Amino acid sequence: MKIVVAYKWTSDPEEATVGADGVVNWSRARPGISTYDPVAIEVARGLAAATSAELIGVTVGAKGVGTPLAAKAALSRGLDRAVIVEDDSLKGAGQAELAAVVAAVVRRIGDVDLVITGDSSVDVAAKMVPTVLAGELGWPAVAEVTDVTGQPGALRVGRAVPGGAQVLEISGPAVLATSADATTPHVPGMKDLLAAGKKPVEHVDLAALDVPASSAVMTITGRARPARKERKHQLLDTSDPAEAAAELVKALREVGAL
Amino acid sequence: MDFELTDEQELVRSTVREFAEAELAPVAGEIDRDHRFPEEVLPKMAGMNLMGMPYPEEYGGAGTDYVSYMIALEEVSRGCATTGVIMTAHTTLATFPIYKFGSQAQKDKYLSDMASGRRLGAFALTEPAAGTDAAAGTCTAIRKDNSYVLNGSKIFISNAPFAEIYIVFAKTDPDAQGTRGMSAFIVERDTPGFSVGEAEHKLGIRGSSTPPLYFTNCQVPADALLGQEGQGFKIAMQTLDGGRIGIGAQALGIAQAALDAAVAYAKERVQFGKPIASLQAIQWMIADMATSIDAARLLVYRAASNIDHGFPYSTEGAMAKLFASETATRVADRAIQIHGGYGYTESYPVERHYRDAKITELYEGTSEVQRMVIARAALR
Repeated sequence: MKIVVAYKWTSDPEEATVGADGVVNWSRARPGISTYDPVAIEVARGLAAATSAELIGVTVGAKGVGTPLAAKAALSRGLDRAVIVEDDSLKGAGQAELAAVVAAVVRRIGDVDLVITGDSSVDVAAKMVPTVLAGELGWPAVAEVTDVTGQPGALRVGRAVPGGAQVLEISGPAVLATSADATTPHVPGMKDLLAAGKKPVEHVDLAALDVPASSAVMTITGRARPARKERKHQLLDTSDPAEAAAELVKALREVGAL
Repeated sequence: MDFELTDEQELVRSTVREFAEAELAPVAGEIDRDHRFPEEVLPKMAGMNLMGMPYPEEYGGAGTDYVSYMIALEEVSRGCATTGVIMTAHTTLATFPIYKFGSQAQKDKYLSDMASGRRLGAFALTEPAAGTDAAAGTCTAIRKDNSYVLNGSKIFISNAPFAEIYIVFAKTDPDAQGTRGMSAFIVERDTPGFSVGEAEHKLGIRGSSTPPLYFTNCQVPADALLGQEGQGFKIAMQTLDGGRIGIGAQALGIAQAALDAAVAYAKERVQFGKPIASLQAIQWMIADMATSIDAARLLVYRAASNIDHGFPYSTEGAMAKLFASETATRVADRAIQIHGGYGYTESYPVERHYRDAKITELYEGTSEVQRMVIARAALR
């Protein structure tokens, strides 16, 4: 059994700054594995351990995603090996384009039973890649996955749905996007960090992959900050908590919030 | 000359920082306030192989280099200085003597449990009347048949209430002059005649319990002797040579935490209609703090790198500890100054950093001892 975890090596938004013009300045943000991807690796590691599957990390992107440090950081989380496509032509690539390249890598690896991704990337947060990737592969896509058990061809997938939980049985290959809180990823130990450098890393040329031309091109053509709603600046001027609560409820009802 | 860290060293920093920010920093204030030994974090640290980093995997360690160990200690201490001293007292002071001077049987018996973090260790050298003058100790270990009988007391023993294995120094030849006649022993917690006293109330690192130890006709087997009879002072000094670099790393972590707090506060605090970070008086303080920390970091890493390369590190370790510890106290002092009156309260962490920093100028050799070591080398 082969399980692929598609992860992203990207900059941490907490270290980015936003200029007065609203443009995000990423220049001082240090790169790292995208926040929710360790959750995906943790879920996949559990399934791989239970099924003796090989766990393969796949990442694609512009210069930097394939540095030894980036590869070791991902491998230390529990991957068995990594396949990396590092090509500067992917700088600024859209979600559909990136998903198509990941799909090509999955096809190249061959005999993959399952692809697991994080909930969303921390920098873009479009939540598009798992769905587009599944479309490219012709597989079903399942989001908000909380746990995966079973065997290839008979997977049992738990997922969070509004108001409850759902259990799916999947009989073939699929793309699963884990929920952001599916599990708490463990922090790698020092031995894991040292062992990461000994794991295989395969660098694949983008040109060597069979990536079909996209039929649709999506380009971001504008950005704006969310419109700020007018503030009412209403103060509840009372020392009686019960009276204050009643006034608050009344005020919220008046604006339709309750 | 290469100042770049390796990939593994960078990963150690980011990984241990992630752990320290999630598990240590959130409880650092509480364990200080309650004088509580953070027992619950030790299994987590052991799970990350943080309790025996520089020892080979065959002995339960992580097999990292010494620079990585110092980076990890710095990051742990940045999150919680108390946890930093627990880590270094165990890893360096208690485990190193067995790794370096222990017989194969002693290594087989203790090292794996200690380097993996399953059993905590402590180092007992200081006595009420023998601090800087360690050779003036009066604790005795008299040979009796196939055993030694220990009598006397020790003070300021980090980890003591929670440790299971103690490295204890005592005079096997009480009549010998100076540093001769002292030997080192491995004493297990449940040995009859051995007891742990009440913990001291301290200015800082309050979660690290440092009580006295008492030995009353405490009989240990002859094979508890570490190294040879009379080798104790050498074992203690070689252990402290490495330990001092660790205290330098601990000081570095405290200093960095104080600078981080000061920078965050300076950006938020508005006076005269603008953040105080825009005032030159504050900027100059921050510049001096950052520069001192960087210099201290280079000294600590250089001393650790000497260990990794098999170079001498006694003088370099003394320089690292001296400069890093005095930097920590100074930087924490400046961090309080930047916070103004708020910095003097428990509402902000900088008063704790200030109290935690001071001990780094005192234990494992005062600043005066470090200067003595450095001067001796310079005047040679």
